[in-house]
Amino acid sequence: MSGFAAVLRKDLRLELRSGESTLALLALSMLVLVVLVFALDAARVRSVDAAAGALWVAMVFAGMLGANRALLAERDNGAIRGLLLSPLDPGTLYAAKLAAALIFMAVAEVGAVILMVLFFNLEFDASIARLAPILGLGAIGFSALATLLSAITGRTRGGDMLLPILAVPIFVPALIAGVKASGAALAGAPLDSMGDWLKIMIAFDVLFVTAGYLLFEHVVGEQ
Amino acid sequence: MEHLGYLFAAYSIIFAVIFLYVMFIWRRQTALDAELRTLEARMAALNERSAASPSEPRTDI
Amino acid sequence: MNNSAIRNWLGYSTLALMLAALFMVFDYVPPEAEQGIAQLIFYFHVPLAWVAFASFGIVAIAGVFYLWLGDQLWDDLGYAAAETGMVFCTLMIVAGSIWAKPIWGTWWTWDSRLTTTFILWLMYGGYLMLRASAEDTPQVARFGAVLGIVAALDVPIVIASVRLWRTIHPAVLVTKNGGHGLEDPRMVATLLVCLAAFTALWAWLLMLRFSQLRTRTRMSALSMKIAFANAAASDSK
Repeated sequence: MSGFAAVLRKDLRLELRSGESTLALLALSMLVLVVLVFALDAARVRSVDAAAGALWVAMVFAGMLGANRALLAERDNGAIRGLLLSPLDPGTLYAAKLAAALIFMAVAEVGAVILMVLFFNLEFDASIARLAPILGLGAIGFSALATLLSAITGRTRGGDMLLPILAVPIFVPALIAGVKASGAALAGAPLDSMGDWLKIMIAFDVLFVTAGYLLFEHVVGEQ
Repeated sequence: MEHLGYLFAAYSIIFAVIFLYVMFIWRRQTALDAELRTLEARMAALNERSAASPSEPRTDI
Repeated sequence: MNNSAIRNWLGYSTLALMLAALFMVFDYVPPEAEQGIAQLIFYFHVPLAWVAFASFGIVAIAGVFYLWLGDQLWDDLGYAAAETGMVFCTLMIVAGSIWAKPIWGTWWTWDSRLTTTFILWLMYGGYLMLRASAEDTPQVARFGAVLGIVAALDVPIVIASVRLWRTIHPAVLVTKNGGHGLEDPRMVATLLVCLAAFTALWAWLLMLRFSQLRTRTRMSALSMKIAFANAAASDSK
């Protein structure tokens, strides 16, 4: 447990010192939302479905940026070797990376939700509270997937471009479920009415956290 | 016989793409064969050398 | 039975089955009542789908064995399966689209089957792009294995979510998803023969490409041995 905490604390401290990743994340979410406001003409249309869609688009793109940074810190100066030589097992390392990515994503999500309400003419009411578990499940699934995949893409020539190409198709089920559930929540539906969507997201999360935990050792080792 | 054009298009594309993939495999095979010939030549050269000077370590694999 | 015997047997079986399938589709099976002659695309479209998904399963299973056993053979199998799978998946989408146009009036529709296949196609593309963008080292092979496993595990969830997506909000067009009301036994027979023919074709292409990758692996190993031997020989001069 202490290894996990140590790696997590290190990543968070690194980020708190510079804050540049968080800032970039928030900026990117906002800019994506701005693009969608104009693309979907949010000024004239008052639509919870458009808002939910825009929110998830912003989250996915900001999330990919965050994921690349999660392993970037160690890769640049070979510090990953130090981590590997430590008695820390790869699964725990994965869990720590996942936790860090999750925290970054949560911060970005809070910002994105606030902006979404403002840009898409919604209200700060109970429907936003209902969004929280949906967005939480989405963040877990996405962080789990992206942490695993960014370990792969960070070390190939495709690099940053390759992560969305690999991650998006795999993320589709959680994306569909997340957008549908978010739209319903914003429209006022109670959480038990979207049971099917939530089940899909939970299944996705369980699958990918487990898969990531088990497979991470194969993607971080050296040659 | 309406839609015959579509049927023809679908089947032609299927066979065309399969044919193209077979061609792709064939071209790779030709390249592999050329590489193999090069390797065989180098091995023959190695064997000659080790036959000419038997005191050297065996290299004929 | 050694490899080339299997390949030859598969090749000839494919030829025979394909000829039989073509005969059955064009001369034997009765045309379907409503859709007219374009419906015949169905007899190739369904086998293509089955083969595309089966190939993906092979990529994942080969990935598991590669991570477990470390033998390059499994990576070669996985890569070959990814390539052949991509070919057949592409064909399935193209055939589906050409079928859609006369039947539904549009080149594309987001019905559950086409959507799921498209996601599968994107996953194949991602795998091939990953392998293409990096050298063929064991590390990259491990990356491919992990990606294949993760994507294959995802496929059932994709199918479930897309189906749910489409039942709650059915596609704008009334989709006649594959027309599985195969009343006439001749239709069933034709479909089965086509399934067999395409499975044989896929297996044959897979074996061809797989053997090729095996040969390439063995040749790289040989090439390295020769290089070492050369270096040793010139050292001791």
